Amino acid sequence: MPTPTSDGSQTSSGPASFLRIPPPLKRLFDRFPLTTYPANDLPHRVPSKRADNQLFVFSDAAGARRGRPSFNPQCLKWQAYLKFVGVDFEITPSNNHASPTGALPFLLPAFPTEAAVTIPSHKLQKWAIEQVHCEEEQQLDLRFDVYASLLDHRIRNAWLYTLYLDDANFKSVAQRLYVNPSTTSSLVRASLAFQLQQAARDELLKTTSYIDVAAIEGDAQNAFEALSTLLAENEHFFGRPNPGLFDAAVFAYTHLILDEGLGWKHNRLAQMLRQHTNLVQHRERLLKFF
Amino acid sequence: MVLQLHVWGPAFNLPSIDAQCLAAIAYCSLTLPKGSWELVATSDPSVSPTGELPALQDDSTWVSRFRNIVDYLRQYSNGEWDLDGLLEGTARADTIAFSSFIESRGQTLIDLSLYVSSQNYYGNTSPAYGSLLQWPNQWILPPRLHSAAKARTEHLGLSSLDIQAMEEQRQREHSAAVAAGRVPKNLIPRPQDTVSKLLGRTAQHNHFRLEALTGEFFEPLEAMIGDKSYFLASSENDSPSSLDCIALGYLSLALVPELTFPWLRDAMRTKSPHLTAYTERMRRLCFGEQPVEIAHAFSPETAPSSLLPWRAPSRISAVAVSNTLLDTLAESLPLVRTLRSHNKLKEGAQSADAGLSDMEKKIVSQAADAGKNDLYASVATVVGGLAALVGYMFYIGMIRPTGSGDEEFVEEVEGEEEASVFDAGSATDFLGAGFSGFP
Repeated sequence: MPTPTSDGSQTSSGPASFLRIPPPLKRLFDRFPLTTYPANDLPHRVPSKRADNQLFVFSDAAGARRGRPSFNPQCLKWQAYLKFVGVDFEITPSNNHASPTGALPFLLPAFPTEAAVTIPSHKLQKWAIEQVHCEEEQQLDLRFDVYASLLDHRIRNAWLYTLYLDDANFKSVAQRLYVNPSTTSSLVRASLAFQLQQAARDELLKTTSYIDVAAIEGDAQNAFEALSTLLAENEHFFGRPNPGLFDAAVFAYTHLILDEGLGWKHNRLAQMLRQHTNLVQHRERLLKFF
Repeated sequence: MVLQLHVWGPAFNLPSIDAQCLAAIAYCSLTLPKGSWELVATSDPSVSPTGELPALQDDSTWVSRFRNIVDYLRQYSNGEWDLDGLLEGTARADTIAFSSFIESRGQTLIDLSLYVSSQNYYGNTSPAYGSLLQWPNQWILPPRLHSAAKARTEHLGLSSLDIQAMEEQRQREHSAAVAAGRVPKNLIPRPQDTVSKLLGRTAQHNHFRLEALTGEFFEPLEAMIGDKSYFLASSENDSPSSLDCIALGYLSLALVPELTFPWLRDAMRTKSPHLTAYTERMRRLCFGEQPVEIAHAFSPETAPSSLLPWRAPSRISAVAVSNTLLDTLAESLPLVRTLRSHNKLKEGAQSADAGLSDMEKKIVSQAADAGKNDLYASVATVVGGLAALVGYMFYIGMIRPTGSGDEEFVEEVEGEEEASVFDAGSATDFLGAGFSGFP
């Protein structure tokens, strides 16, 4: 309990004493920082000398060594694009938590080696154009963005439904590829699987008030038909001599839908896609790059 | 039976406030003969079993969404009421691709313009909903639509258009300035300068982003329409298609509304003069020369002879009101909401018009059931876990059965009494000391 005398002494010293640091504290802070430790070494699995650009995608270790296509459409699109335009890179298996933006793919360029600059997926095209001076294809045809919306919405919605919300497929494909590699604990696996399905469901419910499977599949069927008409008898989309970004985007979905190795249980999309032979042949032509 | 098209009600001088509804109205007014259909401004998605508007009612059959309505009308009339029948090859592919493009990009822009930009939402959109909805929907639906639009545009990083936060900041600055006369200077918080700088930067950033978004949307459409009267017009086929209806739905909502912050309309007028003229022309063709007013929808006899066969919606019944209230309550409870989202999938599969084969229906229902089972399993796990914990605590004696617990409880109460007595004593001591300390 403060006595009146101590109170009086405080008021008499005035406001200046609040600003002055007490001498013992000042001496202590003068000695900071006591020691500065050197930075930790990088983990051993990081190659000490990076010779190549590194593309971080969803993949497994064996597939990454042989440069096989990623099993995630978004990753596969950029992997294929970089291959098509002739950028050299290595595949590193990774997951969303590793990415600075929270989403795969991203690229760690070989130069400059010192500055750790990562390139997120939406800047990959610009980076590739700077590297190999390829064309920015969106500028060449007004239909590029229009037809790309088919892939980004209709086919993507059908893909989300087929992979995540169709239970047979989810157990045999998505769970094996996305959930099981991250942990062996069955409790954590169950919760991760639930989160994945919930995320897919939320994404589909963003635009509609309930998930109408027939509408989703009908939309996908129309989308394949439109893409098939756009490709017609050409080797590549928009009659280009070499495959480009749009081919990569189409290939990312057609390859995974037609890939029997993934273990699909109930694949309506493949049935629809096989009706359009030119899209199937397009996928087979591009698969030779891998 | 006359076909009835249920839609969101009129707003902004347009027959509906929703782009899909506008597209459906345009399609019906172009294809269906007069007298074979009626337009009902229900403005309540719960009337349709699918929970969506626009919905076409043919006796007991309900069809919702624009594309399903188009398909249904084609089958209903054996291919007579169909705008796309003559399209082939590239034109057909273009209809599909441009429809998807307009629906996805156009919806984003309309969300940003009508809902996310707070000035427009509170100044225009929200009052418009207020005048076309009945109680209690006018309190329930607009916030739901508002948050849905925010969720759809979240990924664009334009949430700072949502000026609520910016407005609050400005008010705080203002009150600080007012108070500056009376309050000592050093008590007014300093960091105002940096915050306003920050806001200036986001405004510019928004400006660039919106410029890019509107450019990406309008440029391909402007190039496509050119001097033609319809999107897919060619020398031998000069008639509107379903693509024109979709385009009218979204473009008229961008062009016509008088908003407080009309960035979308300004962008459309400067970037795409042909498209603007086309939208005006299509609007007159499909919705009539006169601007549509809300009164037309609710009391059709007052309306001038318009193109649209309005029919007054029936008064909302007590059952419907209580259903809406129950629904809203259920949506706001966390577990129940998850359960309902599983049901949403199942209803889609079991409704008769979904057009799935029996096999597929079974599979989808199974998936929905499995999802529900997951939920039940997680609830059961939590309950089981709690039970196990309590059992364990009994076992090791942290909790004792009630027989021996009573005594302890009494002891504790006694202890507490002692403590409180002691406290009272010390308080008196303290007070006494306090008083004695002062003269």
